[in-house]
This record gives sequence, C-alpha cells and structure tokens, in this order.
Amino acid sequence: MIEIKNVSLWLGDDFQVLKNVSTRFQKGRTTVICGPSGSGKSSLLRCINRLERFQKGEIIVDGLSVRDPKTDIYKLRKNVGMVFQHFDLYPHMTALDNITLAPQKVRCLSRQTAESKALQLLERVGIMDKANSFPAQLSGGQQQRVAIARSLAMEPKIMLFDEPTSALDPEMIGEVLDVMIDLALEGMTMIVVTHEMGFAKKVAQEIIFMDHGEIVEAKNTSDFFNHPDHPRTRDFLNRILSHV
Amino acid sequence: MIDYNFDWGIIWQQPYGPLFLNGIKTTLILSACAWILAFCLGILVSVFRVSSSKPLRFFGATYVEVFRNIPLLVQVFFWYFAMPSLFPKPMELWLYDNISNLPFFLGILALAFYTSARVSEVFRSTLLSVPHGQYRAAYSTGLTPYKTYRFVVLPYAFRLSIPPLTTEFLSCFKNSALTMTIGVLEITGTTAYIESFTWRGLEVTTAASFSYLVITLCIIALMAFVEKKTRIAGMIHQAR
Repeated sequence: MIEIKNVSLWLGDDFQVLKNVSTRFQKGRTTVICGPSGSGKSSLLRCINRLERFQKGEIIVDGLSVRDPKTDIYKLRKNVGMVFQHFDLYPHMTALDNITLAPQKVRCLSRQTAESKALQLLERVGIMDKANSFPAQLSGGQQQRVAIARSLAMEPKIMLFDEPTSALDPEMIGEVLDVMIDLALEGMTMIVVTHEMGFAKKVAQEIIFMDHGEIVEAKNTSDFFNHPDHPRTRDFLNRILSHV
Repeated sequence: MIDYNFDWGIIWQQPYGPLFLNGIKTTLILSACAWILAFCLGILVSVFRVSSSKPLRFFGATYVEVFRNIPLLVQVFFWYFAMPSLFPKPMELWLYDNISNLPFFLGILALAFYTSARVSEVFRSTLLSVPHGQYRAAYSTGLTPYKTYRFVVLPYAFRLSIPPLTTEFLSCFKNSALTMTIGVLEITGTTAYIESFTWRGLEVTTAASFSYLVITLCIIALMAFVEKKTRIAGMIHQAR
C-alpha cells in the first residue's frame, strides 16, 4: 500500500532529518511509529503526502509516486487522511463546516450530501450535538474528534496520525483513542505516531522505533515489546514504560 | 476678543451650498472606488508576496516598494501630468478632449495603487500569522493552494486584518484631498474654490473639517460593525 524506499530529507543545507529510511506499510494494518522527539517520526509521516518534500529516495502510495512531479498530488492526498497534534481545525468555521469543506470543494459533493455524511461521522465520533459549535468552543478531545471526522469525510484509504493525543489533557486521551481503535478494528490502514503504548499493544500489528532519523527497529507488536533487539529500543521502552 | 464677523450662512447660500454638497459626493465616490480597487489589488499582491514562486514574490515586492515609497502627491501628478503623454499623441489628445472627468478617474487610480501597496502589507502580516497547521490541514484533505487561500487562509486572515484595515480605509478617504491638485472638486478642492470667491476661509474650512470628521466616524462605525459580524464565536474575548 505504501512503500518507502531510501528516503532522505534535509531541512536547510546541513540538517538531515531522515537518513535513508526504507519500510513498507500494508493494507488494513495499523503501524505505530515511536521514538524520542526529533527522531524524524512526524517528518516521515509528512513525506507520505508531500507536506514535506524529501530530496532523495521514493515513496509509492497506492501505486502513485509521491516525488514524481507528474503525479497529481491532490488526487493522492484525497486518499490519505491526516490528523495533527494540534488538531488544526479551521477556527472560523463550525465543526460541521470544517468537515464539509473538502468534500464539497474537492469531491464536489452537494452541501446536502456533504452535511448528512458529516453528521453521520460526528455521530460516529460521539459529538453529534457539537455540529454547530466553533472549534474554540470545544474541548481538546472534542476538537481532535472533529479533526478525525474531517479526514474521514474524504473517505481516505489510509489514515496518518501525527501524535494525535500529545496535546490533550489526560482525561481526554481515552475518547480520542477509542475512535482510533474502532477505526483500526474496521480495517483502516493506519500509521500512528504516538507514545501511547497501551494503544500500540491493543491494535497495532507492527511497531517501528525511530531515532536520529533512522529506523532502529521494526517488528510485530508482541516481538517489539517482548524481545527488542536493539539496546536503544530497550532503553526507550524502559523509560516510557516505567511510568505505567 | 476676536474681531471677526461669522457668516455661517455662506455654506448654505447659492451657489456655494450645492457646490459643497457636490464636493462631499465626489469625495465619497472617489475614495470608495479607490478603496474597493485597493482592497482587491492588496489581497492579490499580498498572496504573491507569501507565495512559493520567486518571480511572483519579486513582482509583489517591487509593486509594494514602488507604490508606497513615492509620495502620494507625486504619484497623483504622475498619473495626471505624465501618464497620458506615454500614449501616442492622438490618443493623448483624445483622452484630454473626450473624457471630461479625467482627473477624477486618474485620481482614483493614483489613490488606489498607493493604498493597495499599504493594504497588501497589512494582509501580508496577517497571512504570516496564520498558523502553518492551517495550510497542512487544508492540503492534507486535497485542497489546492487556490482553494486553501480562498476558503481557509484568507477568511481567517481577513478577520485579523480588520483593525489595521480600518486605519488604511480612513487614510484612503482623507488622502483623497490630494486630488484637488489635479483639479478634482472634492471637499478640499471645493473649499479652496469657495474661499477664493468669498474670503470666508474660516467658515468653509470648518465645514470641510466637520464633513471629514462625520464621514470618518461613519467609516469607523461601519468597520466596528463588520468586526462584530465576523467575530469568531468563542475565540476573541468579548470586550466589556
């Protein structure tokens, strides 16, 4: 579904964020990417839908090359939903309008169709009653659920989550994770950058550990937690799991 | 004691009363046209200045520096005394002969281009304050750059721009006075004209000042109304 081949990304002239990263993500599977901050997790995610332009290597998403200038990047992005750490809802629109904008302007759905679809999605993420609220009137957890609904409204084949719960108060993390768990169980192809190891254990099939712009270890979930090979992985796991 | 006999009636008297009212009308139409033009051009140029295309950025920067760094009076002179002679001679003569209110139209252009450079700087500063996440969110759903600006970035930036835009709107309106130098009979021009016939400088300049004040207060009220109407619920603290 997504194939990443020898991707290198530099920000500026001398700061290399990704170093020759290769991996693949299969259809219908959930992959968790973890690692210390600055390890290139979010950058890798952004390379997948060309929010970040990488200088070397290749990424193929559902048969389309991300780097090829001839690729219709808007078509590619339609199939790849993305959820951000800080939600990034459009502040001047209601929750409903946030969700219906892209379906109307990109998929050319009528307002009516887009809205009835949006209401279904809001019901699915459990905040049907907030359809006409503005983002600033919602809690962080509610905003993130609207953001997830906004991505789902484009009916993507792949969902990217960039630290979706890192900016949330602890009591709101659960409500967002619940939505993501449902999505994963329904068979969505998901790539999730997160430190929520409970979530990873529960739904991820594969876990990738990154450090300093490289993939240090990529394993199926139980092997990752039970038999990590690399000392850096063990060190990282010890530090984040000691609090649980 | 002031040794001066006031004659306020001069302002209402024939033919000065209708002349003065006509001046107010000219000021209003001229500055409104200039403002609308400046607003549209300003948005366009500000988007050029933050775009990823180097030629567009260069064009935008040149535009802004030319139109905001030359004194408005010189620009007014340029449009009226220099621009027509850039055309072939027959066309130049035709312009002067056939367009009776040429100064009025050229005054609009001079004021519009000057104001647009300043408006574009206002928009540029607010565009830069729109968080990057807004672009990322919009692009990730497949919106093109044009649609991202049209539906996401500009509506948000516009709201942030209202207070500084009010100042530019007022400046645009007041700067219209400079068009008197190319013969537009707007408020200031009419005032000078009436004064030269009546020697009633105190009365007519007072009337002119009062007119400007009333109209600027109306503009401020209008912009406050727009600000209130477009306020984002829950986001900007309500002033009490």
